[in-house]
Amino acid sequence: MDRLPHHMDRVKLVGLDFGSTTSSALVASARLGLNCATGRMEFGCPEIVYRPEPVFTPFDGQRIRLDAVAELMDGWLREAAISRDEIFGGGAIVTGLAARQDNARELAALIETTIGDAVVATADDPRLESWLSFMGSCAGLSRARPGQTILNLDIGGGTTNPALGRDGNVLATGCCFIGARHLRFEPGTYRLTGASEFGHALLDGLAIGKRVGGTLRTAEVMKAVDFYIQGLEAIVAGDASFFASDLGRLVEQVPFASESNGPPHAITFSGGVGELVYAAASGQPLPTQTFYGDLGADLAQGILASKILSRDLRSCVPEYRGRATVQGLTLHSTEVSGTTLFLPTPTLLPLRDLPVVASVTGAADRAALDAALRLAGNSGRGACLQLVWDEAMPSLEQIRRFGADLSAAMLCMPSPGMAPLVLLTTANAGKAIGNYATSWQQVHKNLIVIDEIPDRSAQFVNLGRPRHGVVPVSFYGLTSPQGDAP
Amino acid sequence: MIVLKALSAIAVPEPKPDEVYEVSLFGRPYAFSGLKALLGAADLSKAGDRLCGLAARDEVEREAARTILSGLDLQHIYDRPLVDDSGRADSVMRVNYDIDHEVFKTLAPLTLGQVKDQILAKKPADVAKLSRGLTGVMAAALAKLMDVHELVLASKKLKRSAKARTSVGVAGTLSSRLQPNHPTDDLATITLLVYAGLSMGSGDALLGLNPAIDSVDNISAILRHLDHLRRETGAPTQICVLSHVKTQMACLEQGAPVEIMFQSLAGTDRTLTEEFDVTVGLLDEAHQMMATKGPLAPNAPQFMYFETGQGSELSYGKHNGIDMTTTEALCYGLARRYDPFMVNNVTGFIGPETHRTNFEMIVSNLQDHFMGKLMGLPMGMAPCYTLHSEITVEGQQMATELLTAAGANFFMDVYLGIDRMLAYFDTCGHDDQTLREVHGLKPAPEYLEWAISRGIFTRGEDGDVERGPNWGNPRIFCSSDAELKRLLASVPAAYGFENAGPRPANTVSRKVKANMAAAREATYTEIVPERLGSIAFRRIATGAASKTAHLDSPESGAHIADADLKAMSPEASDVQIIVSDGLSAEAVHHNIPDLLPVLMDGLDRQRISAGKPLLAPYGRVKLAESVGDALCPKLVINLIGERPGGDAMASRSLSAYLAYRLPEGETREAAVRFSGNPDIRYEYTVISNIYQNGLPPVEAGSLIAERVNQILKFKAAGNRLERTLSAGTQAAE
Repeated sequence: MDRLPHHMDRVKLVGLDFGSTTSSALVASARLGLNCATGRMEFGCPEIVYRPEPVFTPFDGQRIRLDAVAELMDGWLREAAISRDEIFGGGAIVTGLAARQDNARELAALIETTIGDAVVATADDPRLESWLSFMGSCAGLSRARPGQTILNLDIGGGTTNPALGRDGNVLATGCCFIGARHLRFEPGTYRLTGASEFGHALLDGLAIGKRVGGTLRTAEVMKAVDFYIQGLEAIVAGDASFFASDLGRLVEQVPFASESNGPPHAITFSGGVGELVYAAASGQPLPTQTFYGDLGADLAQGILASKILSRDLRSCVPEYRGRATVQGLTLHSTEVSGTTLFLPTPTLLPLRDLPVVASVTGAADRAALDAALRLAGNSGRGACLQLVWDEAMPSLEQIRRFGADLSAAMLCMPSPGMAPLVLLTTANAGKAIGNYATSWQQVHKNLIVIDEIPDRSAQFVNLGRPRHGVVPVSFYGLTSPQGDAP
Repeated sequence: MIVLKALSAIAVPEPKPDEVYEVSLFGRPYAFSGLKALLGAADLSKAGDRLCGLAARDEVEREAARTILSGLDLQHIYDRPLVDDSGRADSVMRVNYDIDHEVFKTLAPLTLGQVKDQILAKKPADVAKLSRGLTGVMAAALAKLMDVHELVLASKKLKRSAKARTSVGVAGTLSSRLQPNHPTDDLATITLLVYAGLSMGSGDALLGLNPAIDSVDNISAILRHLDHLRRETGAPTQICVLSHVKTQMACLEQGAPVEIMFQSLAGTDRTLTEEFDVTVGLLDEAHQMMATKGPLAPNAPQFMYFETGQGSELSYGKHNGIDMTTTEALCYGLARRYDPFMVNNVTGFIGPETHRTNFEMIVSNLQDHFMGKLMGLPMGMAPCYTLHSEITVEGQQMATELLTAAGANFFMDVYLGIDRMLAYFDTCGHDDQTLREVHGLKPAPEYLEWAISRGIFTRGEDGDVERGPNWGNPRIFCSSDAELKRLLASVPAAYGFENAGPRPANTVSRKVKANMAAAREATYTEIVPERLGSIAFRRIATGAASKTAHLDSPESGAHIADADLKAMSPEASDVQIIVSDGLSAEAVHHNIPDLLPVLMDGLDRQRISAGKPLLAPYGRVKLAESVGDALCPKLVINLIGERPGGDAMASRSLSAYLAYRLPEGETREAAVRFSGNPDIRYEYTVISNIYQNGLPPVEAGSLIAERVNQILKFKAAGNRLERTLSAGTQAAE
């Protein structure tokens, strides 16, 4: 039998989330194989094999302590009894306030060094964080409610990441600096022990004349919490005016533009605050105010008191709540390719940090292909094009024509060279497209075509080493489907 | 615990030369040479026996044979063990002679006709006493003398129960084996199919899965998963993964929960050893291991599970000239040695070469059930079929009604009757519950109490058991709707869980039946050359002169018809392509127009020469070798329709068999060394599952062209090529 992997080994997936307050890790084992119902490769029957308690993200003033993080990661890998070579995919992300520290990018590099090629590591990637939170918390719930739009608000220490999805697919994402930890207090009191730049702006914008060392009065706490609740309600209502004010503009990092037509979205929560909300909704007592030294419990109380925000708390409950991002990182950040790839030289992989320079459709004409390849030619280390077909499976004539046009366009590239040109296509047609474009590997030996990869609006992509004939693919630097400035 | 008698201690009479049995019926003389021929002619006509020339030519000849057979005494049968091709009684025959000689002594002078009359006339307890005195051949001979009513009546007297964790076969019960198969052993699908089955009151006999991959790791993992499901749901039953007995023994050795040990049996030693890789010695060892190490052994009197079915020996061409019913009875003689918990009969599974019609399948099932019971076995039945036979779901349902009346211990529960891995059709949980309600039966007693506690059944004040509020609702075992949805996402042919009483809702039945109809049509449709695109073919005939001949006789489609063969001579092409309908002409119609042009483009661009493609209606896989021998290309590509399953789209599935004609010399020697087969002439690379929802035809054409290049470049195909490619990849890394 040819090597079509109907049945495969289990693979290990890893997720690491370094957030404003805490850092989490997750290791899952999943079966990589063909879903006989959909005909696509997928991770099946995931099992969480390691889920340590979250730890406080180690900060040293405005910097993340890299040595402490390195120790943390070594400890996680040791406890999970997993080596970096065993890791098939997953992701690591530095989020919220941690992503805004001076050395956040150094941290991402450290993660890549420690965990290996298989895991995409990124910092300050708010749309990706929103996407991951949705997938991690309510992808299953969303698929179980076909046609229902679900708006997930992932509320952590530094940011709120809204993501709207339907049928398990994310439609819109955003990010704002609404979080529990912009103001930090002595636990059990409202004596201010620290504030982020947004915390200071909040105090100023709301005319709360307190600084570090001072104690907020109840009315002042309520004022701050109310502002956040109004912001969350504005996100739900699609009310852009809230973020048009001076303070609103400052708080909004990535605008969230969702569909406002149609029936109201079901609302779910994730993140640390989300976990408190659902615990309280199920009858558990909230922790005492500022128990964690922040506004988490107050925010949760505010959400529970808001008719708009609390309307679906009992009827629409996500599978995972507190650690949605790390769940999403582990199980959803890696896409699995199809099995019939055009990969004449498998040793070209892995490829990291490949810019996604263009997205073309199967009906693209020569001019469009020429333009896309000009952009690709400008990247000396290789580039990626996304190829989207309207049809589930393009016809023979479509593939022949596209292959011929691509071949001709590649001949006209400004610097054809040998830098890899990766085509990611939605259809199960990678080998045919590649063979027609290269005349069955006679020309254009730098072309790689990876198929059955969903269309994703992103700036960069990582391609892992092939295993069992499939390639793990991870996107980062997510943009809105309508296009963000890179 | 039973003590297994050593084979050498079992006395078998010395074989005798065949004698001629003669009779004159209505003035017409009839003669049968040897007991095998007489037994064959005495049976109702079935495709397999016709194929090997054992069936009577007409009804009168059959009655002539039955007349002779009725007059033979049991001593006569005892004295003439049926022999293999070397003239010896093989080990299976020998085990059949492990009988109670005291009982036999009382029967020996009686004719088969007299014994038949006694079975019908005596009380159940007296009939049951006969079982230890009979060999399989005697049981088969009796079955051949009985009509349908007699088979049902006699079987009903012979109800036989067995016990592991639950009791199966107790009077007033009808159990089921839940078979949650999946083409890739996907645990999510297995979970949902187990939940669905349990919610219908199925699985009280067994949760038993046929695995896709027979490795110790995989089987152990599935066993542990089934064990987890059993514990999680609390269902009192037992579990089994139906892998090879050697694999299960290795799993048990490593601590996996092998509660019930399974093996398929055959009625001839050659089939058992050469095809199933099993000997009586190995089965003895497995039984001993279960008795000492099996998780249920301390408390369960029985723990072995066997499957049989008429025709397997014939389909392998290793039936020793014995008819299908008799070889089946010989399996029971072997199964009896191990006092099994379950014996399941899957007659109908193979295809039209053994059972073509509903009548043939129903009769064989009734015979098998009777013979098994007569030999003291706890018989479950799986009247089943494939779509390339003429057997239908209605015929299968008639079989189940008769078998339930006859007291079958259990049926299968394959969800909606469609086996998602084995591409055949069996009974479902709806059938099992319908039969319970029609015949006033209940599940196994231990299981019933649990099912009542879960609301699957209710017990009224009068003690009557009825379907409960949770019957047929797998959601009761899921933690959330989302979990149910997640599990459902990987289940092929999931047409819905809605029910109407104990039956699937009409909307569900319509989807099932429509898909089956389209799938069956794929088999019976003739190839239409105009639907194959623009590439010109040269047409050749195979040895099968018609669709019927093609389906009934697999061998006939494996070679070129004589007239065409004479006109063919070696050509100088690298590759010769054949397009053949195989078991689905629709697969050819739907894939070839896109696949073949890509393949031809690929060969052309890689400078690989190809002869004008051949169109060969009624072809089989091995036709590649006949073409290879005639035209002498380096490689033959046989593009051929696969056996249809229960899904209309999947029934358009094509396979590509790349048959590499091994050249003499170094390459052939390497292949001999690799395979261990000194006679190897062809090596095969297979690319399967070619259809729009699997491997799309355009992509398949491209893949095949690449594989051809690799085969010619490395002078190897199949696993030898894979090893070469794998070594190359590792070296590059």
